[in-house]
Amino acid sequence: MSFSFNGQPVAAHAGETLAAALMAHGVEGVSLTRDGEPRQPLCNMGTCFDCAVTVDGRSLVRSCLTPVEDGMEVHSWQNH
Amino acid sequence: MAEPLTCDVALVGAGPAGMMAALTAADHGLRVTVVDEQRRPGGQIFRQRPPEFPHQPWTPPAGYPWASSLLERAESATDIDWRFQTTALGVVHEERDDGILLATTGPGGSALLRARRLVIATGAFDMPVPVPGWTLPGVMMAGAVQTLLKSQQVLAAERLVLAGSHPLLLLVADQLRSAGADVAEVALARGLPTPREALGSLGAVPGHLSLLGDSARAVARLVAGGVRISPRTVVTAAHGHRHVEAVSLTQVDRQWRGVGQARRVEADALVLGYGFQPSAELARQAGCAMRWDSPAGGWVVAHDDRMATDVPGVYAAGEPVGVSGAEMARSQGRLAGLGVVSDLTGHNVDVELEEADRSARRARRFARVVQRMFAPQREALADLAGSDTVVCRCELVSRGAIEQVLDANPGMSTANAVKLECRSGMGPCQGRYCETTVGTLVAGRTGRPVAQVGHFTAHFPIKPVPLSVLGELDGDVTSGACAHRHHRAEGSQESGE
Repeated sequence: MSFSFNGQPVAAHAGETLAAALMAHGVEGVSLTRDGEPRQPLCNMGTCFDCAVTVDGRSLVRSCLTPVEDGMEVHSWQNH
Repeated sequence: MAEPLTCDVALVGAGPAGMMAALTAADHGLRVTVVDEQRRPGGQIFRQRPPEFPHQPWTPPAGYPWASSLLERAESATDIDWRFQTTALGVVHEERDDGILLATTGPGGSALLRARRLVIATGAFDMPVPVPGWTLPGVMMAGAVQTLLKSQQVLAAERLVLAGSHPLLLLVADQLRSAGADVAEVALARGLPTPREALGSLGAVPGHLSLLGDSARAVARLVAGGVRISPRTVVTAAHGHRHVEAVSLTQVDRQWRGVGQARRVEADALVLGYGFQPSAELARQAGCAMRWDSPAGGWVVAHDDRMATDVPGVYAAGEPVGVSGAEMARSQGRLAGLGVVSDLTGHNVDVELEEADRSARRARRFARVVQRMFAPQREALADLAGSDTVVCRCELVSRGAIEQVLDANPGMSTANAVKLECRSGMGPCQGRYCETTVGTLVAGRTGRPVAQVGHFTAHFPIKPVPLSVLGELDGDVTSGACAHRHHRAEGSQESGE
């Protein structure tokens, strides 16, 4: 299966979390600070929000808690 | 509000404490609902692989031979209403006192659970330690690297430096190496346990395969594999442009204060493992009294010998009452479950309580030895942050900015006051990753103990959610939950600003 991240296709396995798939894909900025600096998952257990993404329009979704679904449209979440 | 009773007992957290409490209550005929953010029971310590992955027998961490059967019992307990991938948002405070209203959000949308009792078993998370460069991609917590590897089969990096003080770090280093990673070095702030300390900890639990025993075997394998293990060494910086490229390691004395020159080690990841702090924001938001216990992880939930907090109907078990490991969490979950059973049914559970008490006392002896041995030197760790090191990762508040606020306001003496003044703790993580540093900095500047500096107040919702999620809950409920609170200042824009 695959999903898109900031418009680019990313391959994933069923059961994988978005965070794991993005890490395995070597994505740098899973989320972005308000200064535009990249962030990657820090805790992988839902507490830090550094892995936050926007999924199909829903914002502030923790990618470490979200299983990949085929065709998801995922974007970096940016703190403002 | 007239939400019907959802269950007798609502539990938040499906780790060893939550599973045990749930099974105990259900065995006594109570209707039980369990809320957990993961997809399967286990918590972080017994995190399982997703059901879609090819089946492999789950191996418990060494030292917890009972874990597999507990997971199996939980997964086959169909009389329990398991609500996975569901987040507890907070307890809704009401005028009436005949139950507890818990707001949640999950795959089916948002919901209000009305329960007669609430058990908080929300676990712990890796203790954050801000060092220069710790916001760079490539810096991860030990728990993150381990769960990525064990439950997701993803190796976080190719060449890693692990730094911290908790024995888990050695186990993670060993697991990473077995999975094919290049472990460049393991830096431990303390010395390796002396034979006397090791014996002491083994003596605390006769016959118990302790964490230290596992660590010793991990050390042996790492050393045999050529991995450098450096005692009395801390990481003082992560370097790189948009990603970790190297780290600085420095020798420290017994108080973890730097001595001598830093040396640079090339690596594409830095793994931090200084121990754990309780995830207790739900208990705080519910109004439970907290107490400061540094070796047990910082701010812990106060409770009586049946795990009841000072808020009527609210119990807490496992790491929120003091980070003590899975053995202790299991015993406390049993105690909490029995406490609720005796409270609600009047059943005589004295024999079971006595047995649970005994195993909790046994576990506590071991936990205390481990806690004392690996207690973090908080002042030295806070001083690893430079003036421009970001302490609040969400709102990008530096140590220097916090100290400027303290200098400009000599009367300011609480962590909460600093939070309101400089926004440290007001981002999406809601202070989980800066509170301990802010508290230590305020204590250092004011000369007051951290216990008096206090903790951040936790507000509803305890995890930031889009406004639409709050809208799904009854309007009166959410406004009631937030009355006289600084809800609008809390969390991200989406959570209500």
